[in-house]
Amino acid sequence: METAIKTSTIKDKLIFEFETSKLFLFGDTQIRDQAMESFYKQGIPTRNHEEYKYTPISSILKGEFDLSTSKNCNDEQIEPLKFLKEAYNVIIENGIFVEGLSNLENLPKGVTICSLVNAATSNSAVFEKHYAQYADIKTDPFIALNTAMTKDGVFIHIAKNVVIEKPIHIIHIATAFENTIIHPRNLIVVDENAQVKIVESYQTVDSKAKTFSNALTEIVVDNHAIVDHYKIQDENACLPERKELGYLMNTTQVIQKKQSVFSTHTFTLSGALVRNNLTIVLDDEHIESHLNGLYITSGNQVVDNHTVVDHRKPNCNSNELYKGIIDGKSTATFNGKIFVRKDAQKTNAFQSNKNILLSEDGTINTKPQLEIYADDVKCSHGTSTGKLDQEKIFYLQARGIGLTNAKKLLMHAFASEVVNTVKIEALRDYIEGKIAKTFE
Amino acid sequence: MNEVLEQKLSTEYKYGFVTDIDADNAPKGLNEDIIRFISAKKKEPEWMLDYRLTAFRHWITMKEPDWAHVSYEKPDFQDIIYYSAPKPKAVLNSLDEVDPELLKTFQKLGISILEQERLTGVENRIALDIIVDSVSVSTTYKKTLAEKGIIFCSFGEAIQEHPELVKKYMSSVVPYTDNFYAALNSAVFTDGTFCYIPKGVRCPMELSTYFRIEAAGTGQFERTLIIADEDSYVSYLEGCTAPMRDENQLHAAVVELVAHKNAQIKYSTVQNWYPGDKDGKGGIFNFVTKRGICLEENSKISWTQVETGSAITWKYPSVILKGDNSIGEFYSVALTNNYQQADTGTKMIHIGKNTKSTIISKGISAGYSNNSYRGLVRIGKGADNARNFSQCDSLLMTDQCGAHTFPYIEIKNNTAIVEHEATTSKIGEDQLFYCKQRGIDNEKAIGLIVNGYCKDVLSQLPMEFAVEAQKLLEVSLEGSVG
Repeated sequence: METAIKTSTIKDKLIFEFETSKLFLFGDTQIRDQAMESFYKQGIPTRNHEEYKYTPISSILKGEFDLSTSKNCNDEQIEPLKFLKEAYNVIIENGIFVEGLSNLENLPKGVTICSLVNAATSNSAVFEKHYAQYADIKTDPFIALNTAMTKDGVFIHIAKNVVIEKPIHIIHIATAFENTIIHPRNLIVVDENAQVKIVESYQTVDSKAKTFSNALTEIVVDNHAIVDHYKIQDENACLPERKELGYLMNTTQVIQKKQSVFSTHTFTLSGALVRNNLTIVLDDEHIESHLNGLYITSGNQVVDNHTVVDHRKPNCNSNELYKGIIDGKSTATFNGKIFVRKDAQKTNAFQSNKNILLSEDGTINTKPQLEIYADDVKCSHGTSTGKLDQEKIFYLQARGIGLTNAKKLLMHAFASEVVNTVKIEALRDYIEGKIAKTFE
Repeated sequence: MNEVLEQKLSTEYKYGFVTDIDADNAPKGLNEDIIRFISAKKKEPEWMLDYRLTAFRHWITMKEPDWAHVSYEKPDFQDIIYYSAPKPKAVLNSLDEVDPELLKTFQKLGISILEQERLTGVENRIALDIIVDSVSVSTTYKKTLAEKGIIFCSFGEAIQEHPELVKKYMSSVVPYTDNFYAALNSAVFTDGTFCYIPKGVRCPMELSTYFRIEAAGTGQFERTLIIADEDSYVSYLEGCTAPMRDENQLHAAVVELVAHKNAQIKYSTVQNWYPGDKDGKGGIFNFVTKRGICLEENSKISWTQVETGSAITWKYPSVILKGDNSIGEFYSVALTNNYQQADTGTKMIHIGKNTKSTIISKGISAGYSNNSYRGLVRIGKGADNARNFSQCDSLLMTDQCGAHTFPYIEIKNNTAIVEHEATTSKIGEDQLFYCKQRGIDNEKAIGLIVNGYCKDVLSQLPMEFAVEAQKLLEVSLEGSVG
């Protein structure tokens, strides 16, 4: 009997868990059933899977994982994670929205922030219109798995014409005692003309065990809306001595409507494995999208950024800049794809990926891709990889700056191109502080 | 725009005639008996048959790859004739003995072997190996080459006469386990070209192979093996055509290049297989494995290709840079029209120190075609100071076609410098306007601009090919922009 348990794969375990718990989960069971079926068909991707060639997810999931979630965090532990003083904080612990720890007082009129479970019952019109409509379960097994198994997350709705000044900070924390897989899910709907800044951070707090977060965020940006989105992936911010603990599979699915502006910024600073799947669909005309990313890796970290920019209609602009500094035995991957569909004439789409490889044992894989079906477009991508420029180091050394400081200075300069795109001052200071620490 | 397009679409494939040579076909299908039949037909030694059978047994365990950005109906491998030889009258020693009908074929193609023989001055001549339906029918200038110690003959002949070289090098660059089509080729290849340049010899003329598929329902599976020994140099040209047929024909070749210390190999291809008609019917499936290895230091391999034909192209000429200071180059122009699909590019595997590679790829899509660049640059851990520069540009001619870029870059050494650039755009209105304003008509202007766009690559081709390639591009593009 015991051997039977051991040989059962994580896939079987997930399916079993799903069957026993699905009746207690929120929302439409039909959506969940379809998603599970799709996950069952796709399975957990191995390295033979083209999209997961550089991400060793299947080997991580070979370990023993528990699927239940429990345990409560206290205020004291949470406080340092609320690093933005002027913000509405939303706490998601192990994928469950915790109202008691969040600060959502004095929300402006027209702003709804509640748990997905609540939204499914109370705010049903908006929820039903948008929930699970954009992240396609057929395209990725982890989207399917999240759609099937998610227990909770946050629902944010900004009504028409509402401009909210203070950022909304979604703090995802993992606090498990046992190795756990969790599936947090967020739905953010920004109506016409509304403006909002959203910060998501991912952290492991006081954990003795490994957590695999399969997180998914769907963002709807309606006509003329402006959304500023930030992701701070610093799994081990609270546990500097255990730098490689959290596994994060982070899917972000964005749909943009007419003349909207969406900017996203992804900062990956720690975590054993971080895989980002970011998809932006430009579904109408005159849309602007900005994608920025910075990853600073060391040790045995694996960071894999997959982005898809899907130009479906004419006259849109997208601009992508990802930069990486790779140290130790870490591996960083950038896989960016730009689609320009048949109708999307007059598209401007640019993509750039630059890397610095500091150590002898680090690895960089980059795969910038263009798929273009329209002829009147301007598209380009560029990528470069090398070590720190020796001439620049020499220049600084010649002016009396020591080697270590010269290197630090150059790395700061390299990173600042991305950091400077952060529009929230407090957040920029926080990130700069974090980066300075990693260079020490 | 439409008129011009119509005109373009009606430009017919110029090389689509069928020559009736009584082919000696094997029955359709593939099994061990067929392989034994081919091997016996070629009077091959035991070890060769063993190799074929091992490859075949491996092949049946493999699955057809589907990662390329092309869609087509998979060929039925049991519905192909794997051996089709034009019936030889006798062993061919001189051109007079070649089937006159075949010679006529070549004349139609503008390749007159006899004329070439009359040419004087060795430097300007081209030694030609002609392969029809996978069987080598004629190799010219053998004697002149033999004086220098150069071996240039059909693969079948090499197996008979130079088994030690074949045994040593065959499959050393592209093992039969490499991929589906390489395994298939290893099992059923019927002939090909073999070339050996001895130490210190600079090959005095361009070596050339001309491929043609004649028989219906056949596949062409040839193999090319070129070995450049220390301090030698060779420039090799390859050209191909096929008749027009409604069905899709399979061409799955393997090309292996080996460059020893200080050796240089320059391999140029002008590929003009039948691309199918304007509705995408028929055409050649071109699934080719081409790879070279810079085995020792200071060696250099350079691939240049002009791809205008084939319904489906699936081809990645690669270089393994094993020796220190070795150099790999890839220059490519790929043009697709109508419903053609091309997924082509290169792999540069840097293993040795101070290795350099350059990739220049120019894609041109017209009609309803899809043209993809797919390339890998891998810098291994020991490849100190490796350097790569890649540039992939795509030109779109209509709003119905697609141009795609899929570069893979894997770096495991921090002293390496790797750069990749890609752009996609349509033909410049201002450039066209400029030409027209000066009295150059639309067609000519497009030809001019495209040739300018491809200049980086075309200038790498040997003279004779460069002229042919330029014409080919112009013909293939007639009226494709409005």
